[in-house]
Amino acid sequence: MAHITLEDVTTDIPVYGLQRSLRKALFGRVLGGVKQEKGNKHIVVRALDDITLELRDGERLGLMGHNGAGKTTLLRVIAGIYTPTQGRIHIHGRISTLFNTAPGLDADDTGYENIYTCGRYLGMSKKEIADKLPDIERFAELGDYLALPVRTYSAGMMTRLGFAVATTIDPDILILDEGLSAGDARFAERAAKRVETLISRTNILVFASHSGDLIKKLCNRAVLLHHGRAVVDGAPDRVIAEYHELLKTPQPPTLTVAEEAPLIT
Amino acid sequence: MIPRYSDAISDVIGGMRAYDMWGLIGWREIRRRYRRTVIGPFWASISLAIFVVALGIVWSQLWHLDPKQYLPFLASGMACWLLFSSFVTEGCSVFVSAEGFIKQLRVPYMMFVCALIWRNLIVFGHNFLIFVLVCIYAQVPLNWNWLWIVPGLAAMCVNGTWIALVLGTLCSRYRDIQQVVASLLQVLLFVTPIMWPPSQLTGRAVYLVDFNLLYHYIEIVRDPMMGLPPSPWSWFMVIASAIVGWSFGLWFYARFRRRIAYWI
Repeated sequence: MAHITLEDVTTDIPVYGLQRSLRKALFGRVLGGVKQEKGNKHIVVRALDDITLELRDGERLGLMGHNGAGKTTLLRVIAGIYTPTQGRIHIHGRISTLFNTAPGLDADDTGYENIYTCGRYLGMSKKEIADKLPDIERFAELGDYLALPVRTYSAGMMTRLGFAVATTIDPDILILDEGLSAGDARFAERAAKRVETLISRTNILVFASHSGDLIKKLCNRAVLLHHGRAVVDGAPDRVIAEYHELLKTPQPPTLTVAEEAPLIT
Repeated sequence: MIPRYSDAISDVIGGMRAYDMWGLIGWREIRRRYRRTVIGPFWASISLAIFVVALGIVWSQLWHLDPKQYLPFLASGMACWLLFSSFVTEGCSVFVSAEGFIKQLRVPYMMFVCALIWRNLIVFGHNFLIFVLVCIYAQVPLNWNWLWIVPGLAAMCVNGTWIALVLGTLCSRYRDIQQVVASLLQVLLFVTPIMWPPSQLTGRAVYLVDFNLLYHYIEIVRDPMMGLPPSPWSWFMVIASAIVGWSFGLWFYARFRRRIAYWI
């Protein structure tokens, strides 16, 4: 059984390495030019703002929103990668994440070696990988290339390999970031099909995408994020409609300033 | 920020228990570094060998020491120094260089510290061969004190682990610290009796030896390598520093662990 709850989750991402002049300008703008920069203030991006969300077995959540709306941050919070700045989060179940590429892909290793290491990083045992190797080979459609170093692959081939490995696991909770859209048309179709079978093995899916079609196909619930807030939560059709409405009136994101002690920020 | 000890402890224990993972990461890093070279990690050993032979010949003349005594001393000292100093310098970047993992997977960060320790132990194993060759040249007799190398190395790793954990966390946030540490280490190499025998010191300067932790970290491995019995004072210092260091390290890690993903 898998279960996810987020209560009033807020996440500020600190931005370091800003040049002094830029910092000054930002502080000036954000604080209306009144307050001088002093003490231990830092520019932060409020990536998630007061999100409350509950996911139960069988729910497949699609996340939509502009670039920078907080989709990836929310995925990372759910995956336990980011600890939220405020709020509480409870997760039950084995989580698997697939952000852009397969973790630990080494360009100098062969395809087979990478299948093995990526599989291990994703939490599979040696035996599990050996059992699933034929399936991975079939899906990746890389043929003899699997025996060559990955640096000889095209970008699309690399995506196929990473995707093939990452989608062989059997997690309770699967977290997917856009990645799917890469590759050619044939791959996109097969990827969608593969995710469908994967979803049938998992209890909860959280999937971020710009594609309304994919969300409609894979999800039974959707959330629209806007500047880190969950503005709409409901059936995919409704959320997709709202998303397209939102696209018509673009609003550039704004920055906030947070005061925190230097070691903590 | 409130320390969360349960999180930190489960991270540390979970990381250590993932030995198959850090074993894999450690080996992969070595393979990556020496890829397509013919002799691989022996390149590190060769540079150590050149250093030891060249410096050994010149300095044994300078200090009127018997090369057959000085060379094993220098070789063992440098091998131990290289091990410990890489715990420290690589410890600074242990989390920053694992960014790709930390931002994509939920893993105990301790795993990367263990991988770092493991990787450098492998390099030490290669360097050890140089020491053995020097011993054969200098006809150093083999005795049972050699067995103390194992607990010595273990104690050095226990200390290296908390140091890497603390420095790795700190350097994720403050990138300057890595540079500071690198310059400090360079100085410490020269003021610590690693390349010169401590017997050369007289008067007050003996404090450089007695209260120099770095010297004791090196000494608990080097003494048995030289066939000498373990020194109780060195062991006391090393064990005390492990207890104090781990207590501080856990507190520190419990406070800041959850910020690491944001910092890197």
